[in-house]
Amino acid sequence: MAENMTLLWGSGSPPCWRVMIALEEKNLQGYNNKLLSFEKMEHKSQEVLDINARGQLPSFKHGDNNVNESYAACFYLESQFKSQGTKLIPDGAAEQALMYQRMFEGLTFYEKLNAVIYYTWFVPEEEKHDSALKRNKEALTAELQLWEGYLQKLGSASNLAGPSFSLADVTVFPTVATLFRFGLSAERYPKLGEYYALLKDRPSVKASWPPHWLENPKGQDTLKDI
Amino acid sequence: MAKEMTLLWGSGSPSCWRVMIVLEEKNLQGYNQKMLSFEKGEHKSSQVMEMNPRGQLPAFKHNNHVLNESYAACFYLESQYQSQGNKLIPECPAEKAMMYQRMFEANTLGQKMADVIYYNCWKVPEAERHDSALKRNKEALTAEIKLWEGYMQKASGPFVAGNNFSLADVMVFPSVAYLYRFGFCGERYPKLAAYYNSLKDRSSIKTSWPPTWLKSPVQDLLKDI
Repeated sequence: MAENMTLLWGSGSPPCWRVMIALEEKNLQGYNNKLLSFEKMEHKSQEVLDINARGQLPSFKHGDNNVNESYAACFYLESQFKSQGTKLIPDGAAEQALMYQRMFEGLTFYEKLNAVIYYTWFVPEEEKHDSALKRNKEALTAELQLWEGYLQKLGSASNLAGPSFSLADVTVFPTVATLFRFGLSAERYPKLGEYYALLKDRPSVKASWPPHWLENPKGQDTLKDI
Repeated sequence: MAKEMTLLWGSGSPSCWRVMIVLEEKNLQGYNQKMLSFEKGEHKSSQVMEMNPRGQLPAFKHNNHVLNESYAACFYLESQYQSQGNKLIPECPAEKAMMYQRMFEANTLGQKMADVIYYNCWKVPEAERHDSALKRNKEALTAEIKLWEGYMQKASGPFVAGNNFSLADVMVFPSVAYLYRFGFCGERYPKLAAYYNSLKDRSSIKTSWPPTWLKSPVQDLLKDI
């Protein structure tokens, strides 16, 4: 099972981290994996292109099945290994609905984060505008307030979709962890801070923590004023 | 069942269309629905904001379960109504894997389309527009479409994931139809054209075809892609 799986990944990439958390939760440790470097452009190497024509990470293969989109891989693993490890999709309609809703809002959350922290990486010099970055920061702030509100309504020590850990946490926690890595203030966003503290020591999360974050515990302060 | 559902939607929005296709496929006709106008700003009305603080369509509710993200609504409906209507997630692991993969790639296709179609509309303020950016977006969209032409060539059956209509088609077809709506030239991409032509008459798709598209002409923004 795990021996027939291969994951090519990059450290600190939330999409890669989602798949790694799912693999841990489903007791699929022992999968073949290789850590690649974005800086060295290894995501465009032949090894990646053989699995993923888009030259992106994660690239994931189980037997002959290539499932490179992180959400796709998470759904696939939960579906194929439903009876082992943690149940990642709750049975009850209400909790399931909330899980699906938050998972997909999670995509928007991730995009708004990237639009700020990777602005300089993605936008060519001649096309940069202070007005654009300012707008992206305002959009991220509004998004953060939404999530603070969502967590507020759930009460303390809750997972994102209710009492059970689910695919909503698998997909969204890496984004939350990245926010704090880039200097988000837990004082200004206490509910997100609590959620982060609640899950950062979960075994699947700890086991897949980005290695370069362990090597350099001090992150960046890009988001300190958000 | 359908009577306990409400959908607020806009004509021509691929996200809204996806949910409507699934409701048809799962035999959930008869749901409460209201068509709203993006042009008139009705997606920011209090009726929408009550269901969806993001002020976006679709806004979908089943009893008091709110599912405003189109993928969320589609997954939820397939899960809750697995045993009725058409099965939208294949059993076969290989087809299932392909379905999941293509469903989420469909998101990328939608984004790259929007980056071109809406560049000079609402996406980018006038003072921040650059010919270089629009050119790059067009090149990215062309590359993306070529990728999908390749996927359709390699597909093991007439549908995106293989032999069965699935959630992958629910996500992909509205985007392909949207390309045509904006002047896409099917001659250049025969496999995508064949896909479009074979699915456009599927009952769930025909029933939910955007009403405003029946009345107004196609635009030619993408004719050179």
